[in-house]
Amino acid sequence: MIELKCVSKSYENSVVALNEVSLEFKEGELIVLKGVSGSGKSSILSLIAGLSKPTSGEVIVDGKKISKMADHFVSVYRRENIGFVFQKYNLISSLTVRENILLPLVPLNLPRAEQEKRVEDVLSIFDISEKKNTLVKNLSGGQQQRTAIARANINDPKIILADEPTANLDEKLSLEFIEMLQELKSKKRTIVVATHDPLFFGLEFVDRVIELKDGELL
Amino acid sequence: MTLLPEILTIYILNFLFLIFSSVAFYLSLQIVKRWDFSATTSLQYSLEKKSYLGSTIIKYMFYIKLPLFLFFVFTLDKISFILPGAMCGAGVVDSNEYATALMFLKVINLYLFAYWILLDGEDMKEENQPYLKKKFTIFIGFFALLVVEIVLETLMFSSIDVESVVDCCGAIFSHSNDTYLSKVLNLPTELLLTLFYMNFILLIVSAFFKHHLLFAFLNLLFIMISLVSLVSFFGTYIYELPTHHCPFCFLQVEYNYVGYFLYAVLFLGTFNGLVVAFINFKKEELVKRYTNSLLFNFIYLIVVTLYPMIYYIRNGVWM
Repeated sequence: MIELKCVSKSYENSVVALNEVSLEFKEGELIVLKGVSGSGKSSILSLIAGLSKPTSGEVIVDGKKISKMADHFVSVYRRENIGFVFQKYNLISSLTVRENILLPLVPLNLPRAEQEKRVEDVLSIFDISEKKNTLVKNLSGGQQQRTAIARANINDPKIILADEPTANLDEKLSLEFIEMLQELKSKKRTIVVATHDPLFFGLEFVDRVIELKDGELL
Repeated sequence: MTLLPEILTIYILNFLFLIFSSVAFYLSLQIVKRWDFSATTSLQYSLEKKSYLGSTIIKYMFYIKLPLFLFFVFTLDKISFILPGAMCGAGVVDSNEYATALMFLKVINLYLFAYWILLDGEDMKEENQPYLKKKFTIFIGFFALLVVEIVLETLMFSSIDVESVVDCCGAIFSHSNDTYLSKVLNLPTELLLTLFYMNFILLIVSAFFKHHLLFAFLNLLFIMISLVSLVSFFGTYIYELPTHHCPFCFLQVEYNYVGYFLYAVLFLGTFNGLVVAFINFKKEELVKRYTNSLLFNFIYLIVVTLYPMIYYIRNGVWM
């Protein structure tokens, strides 16, 4: 489903984030990318999401060469296939939970009733219905992360990418988040988590743990 | 050197066009030489980034160039107020050794630059960008035309002599002159009108059969016949003066700037018609181009036809 073929990624300050990495993720897999800061985990997520392009090599998702697509095609691909959960949640603090979750639907011009139905569904799945009209800035870290993952799922994406999703959560909230991932995996979503949180490494439902160091697979 | 604010504006814009088009030209050369869409090398990814930059520069430059043609015509008209003898832009064009060539080149560039914008649009619709190499190769040629246009424009504006007396449009487009232009304008009205209306009927027929080449050719013919018939016949009804044959005067306020409308509509009609032979459009887009072409050409035909009709209804005679 997701294939990275001999992918290298360098940034303008000559930092090599990935060095000829080849990887393959199957549909429905939950993969944990492990490694210290700067090992290239986030670069892999960014390449799969089409947020950046490789310096060389190829990223293929569902047979589509994402790395070769023009930006406007990548936007459509991302909108339809990717749900991204960030370390710092990337929510808009001046909007309510409901409004934040609704945002990815704006470009789709769906009927209002359909939008509302989808929002209500994810609010209920991720158990934040009672906070839907609360401003995001007034939420706790765990509630913000729930909102972020609800937003990532509003378009019913096939792929969920999570970049250090538990870095700002305590152990209890991290375990709650891991439960949510397990539920998403049971719905056949392909999930890639970049983390160095040890809580993820011994989990039974994680299919593979891939370790990276200095932009290379170990 | 005459430095009206309008001329100064054109100089500044031309300077900016030169800078931006030079960058785009340099990028185009690199892309044409090394582009290989199937490659996944760092060179190819770098060229892909450069192609977005190049396309954006060229596209917006041409977006600005298109309406600037009307500004150029407006400027010629404005200059006529300071040239002794000139009544409109025609006097300015006739007085200057570079102006006629520049006018022709500008009209040709207008169509070519609009074609490039369309080609770029079609290219961006496909994931594999099928026209990418073609559009940058074409731009290399268009860059030369753009530079020639800028040079001619600079030469033209810098050589305007406000001291010498020039001919007015009445003299330039007079039927009694023994020039090639006069011979064209002296074509019998019946023949000219038959050609004009027949041409439009043939456009409809060729559109019905979707014969792209024929449709494009007939549009090319429609530009020429329309312009000749406008100056020779329809224009006299706009001016309500049987001896006045000028392609510039109806751009003035006295005639409600109708010339700008007529030229714009004629351009839209014929451009949409010409491109069907040069771009491999998908069916839906092709139908749109044919429809637009017929629609705008029809609007042109109706508006120019209304002038003599209204004149006849009001006065009971033809001019």
